[in-house]
Amino acid sequence: MTTKTQAVGPSSDGPLLQMSNVVKRFGTVVALNGVDFSVDRGEVHGLLGGNGAGKTTLMNCLYGLYRPDSGSIVFEGKPLTIRAPRDAIRYGIGMVHQNFLQVDTYTVTENIVLGTQVSSFPRFDLRAARKKVMDLAERYGLNVDPDKRVADLPVGVRQRVEILKALYRDARLLILDEPTTNLTPQEVDALFDSLRAIVDAGTSIILITHKIRESMTVCDRLTVMRDGQRVETLVRRETTPRELANLMVGDQAVIERVAVAVGETEPESDTVEDKAPKEPSTTKSADAESASDDEASAATTDVEAAEEAGVEEKPADAEPASADETAADTDAEAQQDAPAGPIRLRVEGIDVPGDQGAVAVHGCDLTVVSGQVLGIAGVAGNGQVELAEALAGVRRPSAGRLSVNGVDLTGRPVRDWLAAGVTYVPEDRHRDGILTTATIADNLLLGSQRTSRFSRRGVVRWRAVRRTASELITRYSVRASGHSAVAGTLSGGNIQRVILARAFSREPDVLILHNPTRGLDIGSTQFVYDRIREVTASGAAVVLISEDLDELLYLADHIVVLYNGRVVGRVPRQQADRFQLGRLMAGAEAEGREDDRP
Amino acid sequence: MNGVINFLELAIPGMVAFVLAAQGTMLGGRAGVFNVSQEGLMALGASVGFLVSYKLGGTFGTNMIGLAVAAAAAAAMGLILAYTTTILRLDQFVVGLALFFAGIGLASLLYRVVIGIVPQPPQIDTLDTIPIPLLSEIPLLGPTLFDQDIVVYFMFLLSGLLYWVLYRTNLGMKMRSVGENPRAADAAGISVTKVRFWATALGAALMGMGGAYLPMHFSGIYTDGIIAGRGWLAIALAFVGGWRPQYVLLGAAFFACMEITALELQSSTVIPVEFIETFPYVAALVVMAFIFRRTQVPAFLGRNYDRESRTAS
Repeated sequence: MTTKTQAVGPSSDGPLLQMSNVVKRFGTVVALNGVDFSVDRGEVHGLLGGNGAGKTTLMNCLYGLYRPDSGSIVFEGKPLTIRAPRDAIRYGIGMVHQNFLQVDTYTVTENIVLGTQVSSFPRFDLRAARKKVMDLAERYGLNVDPDKRVADLPVGVRQRVEILKALYRDARLLILDEPTTNLTPQEVDALFDSLRAIVDAGTSIILITHKIRESMTVCDRLTVMRDGQRVETLVRRETTPRELANLMVGDQAVIERVAVAVGETEPESDTVEDKAPKEPSTTKSADAESASDDEASAATTDVEAAEEAGVEEKPADAEPASADETAADTDAEAQQDAPAGPIRLRVEGIDVPGDQGAVAVHGCDLTVVSGQVLGIAGVAGNGQVELAEALAGVRRPSAGRLSVNGVDLTGRPVRDWLAAGVTYVPEDRHRDGILTTATIADNLLLGSQRTSRFSRRGVVRWRAVRRTASELITRYSVRASGHSAVAGTLSGGNIQRVILARAFSREPDVLILHNPTRGLDIGSTQFVYDRIREVTASGAAVVLISEDLDELLYLADHIVVLYNGRVVGRVPRQQADRFQLGRLMAGAEAEGREDDRP
Repeated sequence: MNGVINFLELAIPGMVAFVLAAQGTMLGGRAGVFNVSQEGLMALGASVGFLVSYKLGGTFGTNMIGLAVAAAAAAAMGLILAYTTTILRLDQFVVGLALFFAGIGLASLLYRVVIGIVPQPPQIDTLDTIPIPLLSEIPLLGPTLFDQDIVVYFMFLLSGLLYWVLYRTNLGMKMRSVGENPRAADAAGISVTKVRFWATALGAALMGMGGAYLPMHFSGIYTDGIIAGRGWLAIALAFVGGWRPQYVLLGAAFFACMEITALELQSSTVIPVEFIETFPYVAALVVMAFIFRRTQVPAFLGRNYDRESRTAS
């Protein structure tokens, strides 16, 4: 496509980017402690690490969102001072943030051209820009409708908009921060194809991720970070997932636990959260004829990776249920055979309105008994948020009834729901889960402020609150300076730990979890799974709403599929087949989703 | 018919102070800076505009200079708001209130210092109407729209210009993005600070001008309290107009009509004056109650932007 360099590995001109000895402090917290990092021309460079390892912070320093306290940046052989994103863009660096930085009310084209030169005389004309956007979209397989408002677009498409934004500005280095977090397996597959096309056109890519398997699929080289330091830089072909996990976690005990718990469901010693290569490989076999060379080579690498990991090879068309059934043999079996306990949560024919007033969930019936995990599968935006909020008592259904432990709570205030033992872990952590300007102690107290433990005659017992907060911070390994740290200053993973600590410490009867492990690293994810097992063992009922099929197959006793606000399938876990579930999630095979690749 | 014309002839100049102050509020607000010092900046504008014009001779020409200096003085106050909120990141509301008090105090003080206490308040020329040839001959529209003073024409042109800039230029697109999502704007290479400085300063200048117009239109004399709550109503007007220049203009027409109605009622009924004077405010309240739910407010209105803050936007 272009004549730019296509070499993988060190090029004769030296590295494209060289960051040296970068230090960044937030107050007393050292986020980056002298990091060296370099990227070659024409490579996908994975930046791997757990929560709070400093991956995003390092890239924010490169993109000018943070000013490093010291360190130097050499890009294309020239030393740069990057004071603001404006500078980074001018030098040819683009970044796709995890929380997309888009103006919701603007169209796709407007978002992409925002901040660039567009002539306003004699009239403001975006047609040329729109044409360029469409050309780029076609060239790299990033399909978007340039005239749609971004607020109306699904996450996968919004991400393409962000990538196009960088390409529109002729970025020669593209940074992607956890790009697969919110994507369906098919979208991940499409994204990786696009990334290959972008790299082949001469742009280098930095892929921030905590998913080992994903990085093994697309990256040429990998840099592992831990605790604000670079641990190691490796060539992908010369490493194994297990080695990467070792470097990432750095704690042998945790690795063993992860391997024991996850090893059986997953051929690689990776988190259960990672589903990317499984589904993609099936899509590949489905349309093998149309598969490009890139796809073929990616698929091969996938198998190689599995072999290297020293685990049994799992061909693309293997019997899918078998692996999951072996997992069921472990510790979940006891629960399945146990007689059904008392009904904790009963949902009868509820309709739930969405934010715009239209009905988002239609006639939903659910029953969850003590000790069980009910999984709710579905592609994001099919009514999960509304259903979760209705189950938690936050959103009032327009029809139907909800009862907890036999008590009808339909339409009752949230206070009654809390008193009844219902606890909710929302999907949108920042918006619904935490008070960003309040301290950790305040956040942990939230919802329990009326209990006798923390209040006496309407006055909060702060000493008890602070003591409990400190205990929970230790127990849930929240990385913070103490209970008085402001929640908004924590990293995303640590915020989730605070929210989970609050939820689990309340010893709930009914626990509503919406994507509880999204964006968490291996150790944290396993920690959440352990807690879920713990509360179900003590008799709680759990509703787990997740877009991650592996997670559901690993934890749920029954799986319900939500499509377009309706329950379109119910399967006990033993009979669950991920491909059948996938078809249900996509609207019962018949209608393709618009955010799927054509 | 004549009654309607008379009424509108009064009501349209009555819009000026509202429109200028509310468009100023809108301008800053679209960039995310919520200025609440209108009342103070308008008082300062009224005082400064009057004094400059009076000292230079009190004619039409000096009135124009007075308007310009009033705008500059208010813009200086706007720059204080911009600096303290974007660079120092102080609370916009608190700084705005401080500027309100400062504006009121300075207005009064300047007048005392320059004029002192005199038995007969000094007077400047009020602005003459400038009929536009041909257009002013049109029945109904002619005398009401095209036989007005120069600032009335400016008000209409300004509203059109603001609409064009905001929605039909790249500059406007950038500016609106700063009020909607400054982090996205920043990441797209737009200087949030710069946009906020300009929008706040220009917005404040309009407020000062709106204040300066009052003595030049009504009586030719300045008195403390001449703004009479129009600044606060301008804030309400920005909301009623949904932070869009075209609707702000419409809303101002409504408020001006209420004001003139209140004035006319004062001379013709037995209802206490104090009660009638609350009309525009009560009307604002009622309108807000019905319209507010549907208005779109800039998402980052009143919120400062800190690039390095790790709190999600």
